[in-house]
Amino acid sequence: MAETTFPPQRRMAITAIRWRPYDFIWVAGSVLLLLGIWGIWQRVSAGLAPTNLSSYVPWGLWVGFYDYLVWLEVGSLMLFTALIYLVGNTQLARIKPIVLFTGLVVLLMALFIVFLDLGHPERFWHVFVYPDFTSMITWMVWLHSTYLVILGAEFLLTLWGGENSERWLRWLGLLSLPAGLALILVSGSIFGVVAARPLWNSSLLPLMFFISALATGAGVLLLLTVVFWPGKSSAEYRQVVRFMTQIAAWMLLAGVLAASMIAFTTLYQGSPARTDALLLILTGPYWWSFWILHILLGVLVPLFILFTMAHRPLWVGVAAALSIVTFVTVTLNIVIPVLVTPEIEGLATAFVHPKLTLDYVPNVMEWSVIAFVFGFGGLLYGLGLRWLPILPHSVEAHNE
Amino acid sequence: MPVQEDVRAVADSSRRKFLEITGAIAGLALFDELARSPEDALAAYEAEIEALGSRTPQAVANRQSTDVLERMRAELERALQKPSSERRWVMVIDLRKCVGCHACTIACVAENKLPPGVVYRPVIEEESGTYPNVMRRFIPRPCMQCENPPCVPVCPVNATWRNEEGIIAMDYERCIGCRYCLTACPYSARTADFGFTYTAGTPVGAGVVGEKNADSYERAANYEYGNQYPRENLRSSPVGNARKCHFCQHRVLEGVLPACVTTCIGRATLFGDANDPESLVAEMIAQPNVMRLKEELGTEPRVYYLT
Repeated sequence: MAETTFPPQRRMAITAIRWRPYDFIWVAGSVLLLLGIWGIWQRVSAGLAPTNLSSYVPWGLWVGFYDYLVWLEVGSLMLFTALIYLVGNTQLARIKPIVLFTGLVVLLMALFIVFLDLGHPERFWHVFVYPDFTSMITWMVWLHSTYLVILGAEFLLTLWGGENSERWLRWLGLLSLPAGLALILVSGSIFGVVAARPLWNSSLLPLMFFISALATGAGVLLLLTVVFWPGKSSAEYRQVVRFMTQIAAWMLLAGVLAASMIAFTTLYQGSPARTDALLLILTGPYWWSFWILHILLGVLVPLFILFTMAHRPLWVGVAAALSIVTFVTVTLNIVIPVLVTPEIEGLATAFVHPKLTLDYVPNVMEWSVIAFVFGFGGLLYGLGLRWLPILPHSVEAHNE
Repeated sequence: MPVQEDVRAVADSSRRKFLEITGAIAGLALFDELARSPEDALAAYEAEIEALGSRTPQAVANRQSTDVLERMRAELERALQKPSSERRWVMVIDLRKCVGCHACTIACVAENKLPPGVVYRPVIEEESGTYPNVMRRFIPRPCMQCENPPCVPVCPVNATWRNEEGIIAMDYERCIGCRYCLTACPYSARTADFGFTYTAGTPVGAGVVGEKNADSYERAANYEYGNQYPRENLRSSPVGNARKCHFCQHRVLEGVLPACVTTCIGRATLFGDANDPESLVAEMIAQPNVMRLKEELGTEPRVYYLT
């Protein structure tokens, strides 16, 4: 049998596709995308009916994930921009492309989730054509779109803007700070203005969102520093990691203290309208999501590592990853327990139907859609890392 | 046995005497009633009502010798002669008269062709006390048509608003289905239409039986807000939208009372123009035993409960 031979061009193409360290991201993304196809098909063919959402619990897993992604995206970008342009830490500029790209991908994932959560996603453009600016959702969509434009421009200029773009980048960066602040405060206000839900209805909630976004954002920046900083053996790397570790630790601590004060004052005043939902978070059937996933794995363990092992980047990276991943329980615990607490006793049994119930646990279809969105994000991120000049040079050189 | 016979004899004699006496009383009462003129009888009845201090809607209507439905229908016609901005539609629900039959719920479902999972007027059942002092009451919960509706400002696309007559209306074609209004309503009075049909999954049969043949009824249009909304597919509103009670505005504007009002077997649900001082609802909402749900929120509901 004759040996198969490839023409020279083809051989070059094959040798070009060789594995790189971060290729697992797009591979994992593709797997998630495949897992999510079933869910997205259900969503497209049957609308929101296959979800476990109901009229009494109209928001659930997807809205919780949306807010979580907004925290990650806006928190990391605001903190990064502030550190570079306000604090003047120019060292961090080395990872600017990867930070901007991470924020951009997370932003697209957030918009994708909230798009899928609409009963009529094909009418999303109504928010631009018939806006009502008394609605926090209008502000959220407009601000998120503005943020997308600013971030997109910043990213493009960073990659391909050349040396003359620095002035523009500075202005865009400074512009992104109030835009990001407004977006995060509006995201909190979506819940904070709802007088019908006493636990949400607080002027502290938008501030809580801001502090939490900075806490998770600090974790994202720390993880990106640990993973993508070029030259892991340099003293500069250890210095930057230690600096970011301190910021992440103190931000996390600030978030814990702020949340604790809200919890204590709420429990002390004892009004059932407020405490019922809070007690559901603390002692309800999903207590473990708060105490074990969030408090233990997302706060206590990371804080211990961050405060005691700041000199060990690997452990610091693990702490940041733990904190980031488990923080999704916070947004889910903000959204779901409040909605499953009845507004009027007896209503859920007055007219019985699976869509008129207060029982809500996200089902497989909802998780499958989340897998699709994360698969989309992972694929985009992995391919971006592979094909775009995002990674700091020495890493690229090392991989080549 | 002699003792038992004696007892039986005494019992027979007592029963006979009792029947004689009660028969005589009934005869006298009937004679008295027949001897009175109708005017006298009405005056006596009104005096009796006044003496009892009863102010129930039916009692008020009885004094005028009309059924409350007739009276409300006449008042509705009177209200429709006025410009719409001068009307203030109000619903009054007498909890003492509601028997929890759910006829209003079902009438509403039929009138608005509500699919499974959508309800505008559930009736909440409430039980209080401990045996033997137990009370059960039924609380119908339509949309409160608030004067300060929390559901309106949260809509990002102006798809819901308070119209001139105070009804919180919806534009199904504009609604994007974000369901923010559902979370903002303190009364859980909005429901989402997830696109279910009653005939889905039923076996294929002959005639009008089964999904294939019978769902044409479910797909046919309803007439909420005076528009036609056929349920053709998932993208055709009101599927995917928020939905709510609108006091059957499409009926009211044609001079017909809301479906829940006409079907209430106990005349417990009243409807009318509160701006008309002569109307039944205006009379009822001035009663001391009137209350509204969650008044502390300042939403100013236009649904009043008599307790």
